[in-house]
Amino acid sequence: MTQFHKKQFHKKALLALTLGLSLTAVSAPAAAQATTEVTFWTWYLSPKFDPYIKQTIAAFEKANPTIKVKWFDKQDSMVQDFIASVNLGNAPDVVNLNIDETGKAAQNGFLRNVDALTPLATLKSTFYPQTLANFTVGGKVYGYPWYGSLNEGVLLYNPDLMKKAGVSAPKNMTELLNMVKTVKDKTGAYAWVPALKDPGGASFLGYFSSDGLPIYDAKGNAAFNSAAHVAILQKYVDLFRGGYFPEDALRKEAFQLATELYAQNRVAMIVGGPQALNRIKDTNPGLYAKTVVTTAPLGKANTQTGTSMGMVIPQASKHPAEAAKLAAYFTSNANQIAFAKIVPIIPTTAAAQNDPFFKGASSDPIAKATALVGASGRFINPGFKAPGNSDDLYKNFSDNIEAALLGKKTPKAALDDSVKFWNANMKK
Amino acid sequence: MARSQPPGTQPPTASAPRSRYSLRDTLLSYAFLAPALILLTLFTFYPLAYGSYLGFTEYGGARFAQGLGPRWTGLENFRTLAADPLFLTALGNSVKYLVIVPVLQLASLSVAVLVNKNLPGMAFFRAAYYIPVVTSISLAAVMWDWVYNKEGTLNWALGVVRIIPEGSFFGWLNNEQTAFWAVMLVTFWRGFGYYMVLYLAGLQGIPAELEEAAVLDGASSWKRFWSITVPLMKPTILLCSLLSTIAALRVLEEVLVLTNGGPLNSTYTALMYVYSKAFQGFNFDYGLASAAGLVVAVVALLLSVANFRLFRESDGGES
Repeated sequence: MTQFHKKQFHKKALLALTLGLSLTAVSAPAAAQATTEVTFWTWYLSPKFDPYIKQTIAAFEKANPTIKVKWFDKQDSMVQDFIASVNLGNAPDVVNLNIDETGKAAQNGFLRNVDALTPLATLKSTFYPQTLANFTVGGKVYGYPWYGSLNEGVLLYNPDLMKKAGVSAPKNMTELLNMVKTVKDKTGAYAWVPALKDPGGASFLGYFSSDGLPIYDAKGNAAFNSAAHVAILQKYVDLFRGGYFPEDALRKEAFQLATELYAQNRVAMIVGGPQALNRIKDTNPGLYAKTVVTTAPLGKANTQTGTSMGMVIPQASKHPAEAAKLAAYFTSNANQIAFAKIVPIIPTTAAAQNDPFFKGASSDPIAKATALVGASGRFINPGFKAPGNSDDLYKNFSDNIEAALLGKKTPKAALDDSVKFWNANMKK
Repeated sequence: MARSQPPGTQPPTASAPRSRYSLRDTLLSYAFLAPALILLTLFTFYPLAYGSYLGFTEYGGARFAQGLGPRWTGLENFRTLAADPLFLTALGNSVKYLVIVPVLQLASLSVAVLVNKNLPGMAFFRAAYYIPVVTSISLAAVMWDWVYNKEGTLNWALGVVRIIPEGSFFGWLNNEQTAFWAVMLVTFWRGFGYYMVLYLAGLQGIPAELEEAAVLDGASSWKRFWSITVPLMKPTILLCSLLSTIAALRVLEEVLVLTNGGPLNSTYTALMYVYSKAFQGFNFDYGLASAAGLVVAVVALLLSVANFRLFRESDGGES
């Protein structure tokens, strides 16, 4: 090789190297930009449902190769972590919240309206109208409805205790309340544990709405102090003061207490979601095997009430389009049905009501309960809209219900005081 | 009259050593202090100052979400607190909780004196009394729930000795008259071992010859306790009383896990009010929560000053 050729070769090599480096420099960010990382937070689902979540994420990533999902499961500190992450500028992209928290977050401006990311027509054709309405605040949809549960759900009962008491499964709430004394007097076990007071909620309002009584008047003011409302509270007060409901119902979450006592043969019936059965199966397999599952007794309005989870997209999300894809994927009918096959949840998608999975017959209590309620997503409705400052108002309501139950106020005075407080302080 | 000084024993003027050593000493001192000062500034002084500032502002969910900072509102939050019966009940309960302080201190000092003896097996008792301090509150809650339940061990025990007839059993945490004292007993149980260890450390610093001299002089054990132990333990008693007072005003965990403030808000404490306002989901109100926290801090400060004064007076005015 001559000196000239050597120089030419070096020049060409240098040029090739320069070009190569330039191309790498251009293509490297292009490749990096091609993959978007989406942060996804679930609520209390790990470790029990890790396989389901991981499989669904893997399937989503396969279908969307440009999106990578970074999943975290949050528990107690979900809301505080959410707020802190917004403050630190690293907000998650998809967050699993319930109806109440979605309402509060949306009212305070933390969330994007998802009907701007997914066409409203698609949302309407995917979900039951009511489940979508549960996540609608001020006319805008703020969440993709996810798995749900019913407050009444199903009736589970211990046949031995029912037989000893000489009663059969109640067909409605009136029948249930009428047999409370008989069951306790004849068996020593409580008939049932009502949701009288719960931290952060106002579950007793549910008994008003399940009997078809309004919570608000036409102007949106609190109106739960009519004679009919007072009569309902009076009935519960009489039973509580007579020792027919456990004292701990004022201090502990009703569902947890009912499940504990049922597993110890100290409660004859549970009205609620089939998820109680999972716990009973673990703690008392013998009782689980003989537990009878049937349709839940309903109030005079003859309708179920319920609640659901949803997936929301924070206002501070940096990848809202990709986040919307992930949320829509997880909440799709196919993925909710797949979830229902693992745990007795109720899908919020309209197509679930025709799914053959919910039409199967089985003698296993969990499978039977799932079949009874699985296709009932259209009933997922809290029964009343939470007020803007629900924490303060619910606390006042629960305090007044407690005062009535402990005999410190008459039921009428308790409801009058609460309505007065609500109307003086409510942020609609 | 001028006083003469022997040569070479002239006292140095006040400024002479300072000019030689002060800059170096000062810099060195600050260098040693710097790590602690930086950490304290970051994690104590700044949050304290910022939290105090927030007490005079409006700063909650909506302003936060919109990226708006705190808005100065002067004394508005304090007016809201003064008009809120729940806060007044909560503050009243926290002040009432101070009843525990003298009982806890007296009990832990007395037991510290007992376990300070060099008897076989005493190490076991020292460790046993300390176990509640390191027990998680969730576990303690489950255990105390069994004790206080209507069908729990406390009713059973009182039934056996016929203090409460079986038909009159009740849930101690469900009764408005007893829940407060029942929760306080859990605080006592949790704090007892901690203060006992502090007292034990104090007791082991008392020179043995003082005790021996008193024994030789024929002083009774009661006399020795009041005339030697208690006076020499005053700094430790002051420290423990202060810590215990502040802890009583800030009680929260026991209440959250055992009663959640009920029944009828009889166990609802000031810190629970602060907690509920600061962390009630997306409706949080940092301004009001900080103002409530400031009120509790001022009460704690006043009580601390009272503690210092009390101990100073009992020392005959010496500091």
